[in-house]
Amino acid sequence: MTDIAFTICAVFCVLSSILIVTQKNPVYSVVYMLPFFLAMTVIFVLLQATFLAAIQMIVYGGAILVVFLFVIMLINLKPDELKNDFSLWPWVLSWFAVGALGGIFVMFASHGVTAAMEQNFAAPTDTRSGIFGSIGSVAMPLFKEHMVPFELASILIVVAILGSVLLSKKRV
Amino acid sequence: MFTLTNCLILGGVIFAIGAWGVIARRNVLIVLISIELMLNAVNLVFASFARMHAHTLAEPGNKYPGESGQIFALFIIAVAAAEAAVGLAIVITFFRNRETVDTRDMRQMRN
Repeated sequence: MTDIAFTICAVFCVLSSILIVTQKNPVYSVVYMLPFFLAMTVIFVLLQATFLAAIQMIVYGGAILVVFLFVIMLINLKPDELKNDFSLWPWVLSWFAVGALGGIFVMFASHGVTAAMEQNFAAPTDTRSGIFGSIGSVAMPLFKEHMVPFELASILIVVAILGSVLLSKKRV
Repeated sequence: MFTLTNCLILGGVIFAIGAWGVIARRNVLIVLISIELMLNAVNLVFASFARMHAHTLAEPGNKYPGESGQIFALFIIAVAAAEAAVGLAIVITFFRNRETVDTRDMRQMRN
């Protein structure tokens, strides 16, 4: 059951990401981001990262998607700008992307696939205090060991807000 | 089969598609969206490794329980949100000055 769900979501992810990068109009790209994020969220739930799945849906599906859509509506591209978008010589460079993918398979081929990598994730995790990936068990190490990075992330977001406001002001 | 290997392969495929989008497209908006795809692929890999180490317990002696990978993915989501905000602000400023979002026209800092 979990295997079938994972396979369907993986196919959805790959198909929608291919559609995202090949669309001429960025509005359609943003529209195809929604099934991509939905399928990714389902995979996170299957991986028992339930809190991460909720954050993924809220931040990506709720915030980033809408911000992209706002900007595309705001800048109002003319149709002649959407033509001739693929550049010629990066078609050669894009083989680097294929090469990066090939590197992963070379890594699998050279190191081999261990038994730990082949354990089925559909099996339930062992019993422990707190459910794996739930908000409580994520929050404990987040606010204990990773306290300083957490505060630094908040500073980063404040700086990003200030920076984007300053950048989009009419006259600086 | 729902194994770590297949999750890593899926993450690699999505990352490669995103990298292709960054390299081969000239629309800055689609380049930014492709960066989001790549960050999402990395999140997937982090979550799969966290699931692999799910048996690592969160006890007082253990500083890094199994959820550490998910926490790292949370930080990546925060960075992605900040990056999208700043990147889109730059796109808006550039469009206001040049009336285009084509990367070929972004050469005023060349030479």
